[in-house]
Amino acid sequence: MVLAITYDLWAFVSENWRELVDGLLNTLKVSVIAIAGAFVIGLLLGAARAHRIPVVSQFAAVYVEIVRNTPILVQIFMIFYALPQAGILWDGFTVAWVSVMLWGGAFNTENFRAGFEAVPYRYREAGYALGFSRRATFFNVTLPIGGRISLPSSINTYISVVKNTSLMYVIGYPELTTTAVNIAALSLETLEALTVLGIVYLTLVWSLSAAIRALEGRLALPEAR
Amino acid sequence: MAAPAAATAAAPRRWRRLGWLTLGALVVAVAYVLVAFVIDWPDWVEPIARYILTEGLPATLQISAVAVVGSCLIGVALGTLLTIQFALSKGAIRSYVEVFRGLPILVTVFIVYFGLPALTPTLKFDPLWATSIALILWGSAQVAEATRGAVQSIPREQHEAASALGFGWVGAHGFVILPQALRRLLPPLVGLLVNIIQNSTLAQAIGGIEVLQAAKSQTERLTFFPPAGIGEIHAFEIFAGVMVLFFVISFPLTRLAAYLEKRLV
Repeated sequence: MVLAITYDLWAFVSENWRELVDGLLNTLKVSVIAIAGAFVIGLLLGAARAHRIPVVSQFAAVYVEIVRNTPILVQIFMIFYALPQAGILWDGFTVAWVSVMLWGGAFNTENFRAGFEAVPYRYREAGYALGFSRRATFFNVTLPIGGRISLPSSINTYISVVKNTSLMYVIGYPELTTTAVNIAALSLETLEALTVLGIVYLTLVWSLSAAIRALEGRLALPEAR
Repeated sequence: MAAPAAATAAAPRRWRRLGWLTLGALVVAVAYVLVAFVIDWPDWVEPIARYILTEGLPATLQISAVAVVGSCLIGVALGTLLTIQFALSKGAIRSYVEVFRGLPILVTVFIVYFGLPALTPTLKFDPLWATSIALILWGSAQVAEATRGAVQSIPREQHEAASALGFGWVGAHGFVILPQALRRLLPPLVGLLVNIIQNSTLAQAIGGIEVLQAAKSQTERLTFFPPAGIGEIHAFEIFAGVMVLFFVISFPLTRLAAYLEKRLV
């Protein structure tokens, strides 16, 4: 028997759509949790960095440099293979969202720090002159302006977070990439599986980039309009 | 009055930079003495470190070198062509850039390693080359986008001056526009180098033996009983070592990129 090279995308999808949808849902679940976590980490540590809060700021700097200067795959391996040595044994789902959240959090710390530092000091001075405390000035002046400045770059980080969930293939967590590649390994429908992966990821990434462009116009600072 | 003021402002900065460099050199020297002479490493460390550095590191560097050179050549060419206002070429290059910037790099690696041979058996690459090619597809898209911006940031007068000197499109871009654009391109290119070195670990996912796969296989070997291993788990130590290795390579490069960005822009 000769294995004919056939390409039938519709048959592939109609046979395997249940697994593929489960995989996509896992991808989205991990992405949403990781993005929410990365947002919180970035906001807190970014504010600490921009305001040079002692200890927290230095801790954040070390965390950012470690994450930015080591491959995310090694970070995933560290959490998946090395933490159990210390008695911390997590399932694939937890490893997935924790690792991409820590990665996105580090990049988001830089995004928010840059955004907060871009707020001119005279704006903060104006806040102090109105009798605002440091905290009130942050929430009423620095955060609304700096947050808007850092929004495009932080959405870019979230896009990378979504893309990086595909790396959970190396720990076998059944998100979209793992699911599709495993189906292809059994059925030899490699091209169909890769087509599905390409279409789904490009749809996700392109719609997020479209969101950036839409938000950029709406959230632009009044003076920049 | 302005010149001496600028000079006195620049001098402390230069001294501070010298201070950081001295501190860096000192840290490296102390670390070397500690690693080589002072710390009493367990017996299993030396062969594993040797294996990772002699089998893994050259493969990582090979993937990265091929990917960086390929990305720069293809990316600069595509980015320059992208500035031509011709719908067909513009549309084609734009879609190339958007597709390979949008796909997760791991999916691109799978497309090259599994997809191309399924298409035609002649396009079969070993894992290291497949990773390089995937990184070129991704990296050239990044470089093309950066090059487009850099080329368009060169003022119109430069184009006019080049044509006044009798240069055609190719000559004007090759001798006048690109040399100026490259200055602005340098920081993103150093950033790309860091990204490519880190993403070369993706070869691990398709079984290429580079630093990460070398470390993983040695971690697994140690867990076997003698004579193969020692029946112990040392995943943390080994992967921490891999992190240190990548950090030592990447950190100076990210500092360099930041320094170049500050100086050139």
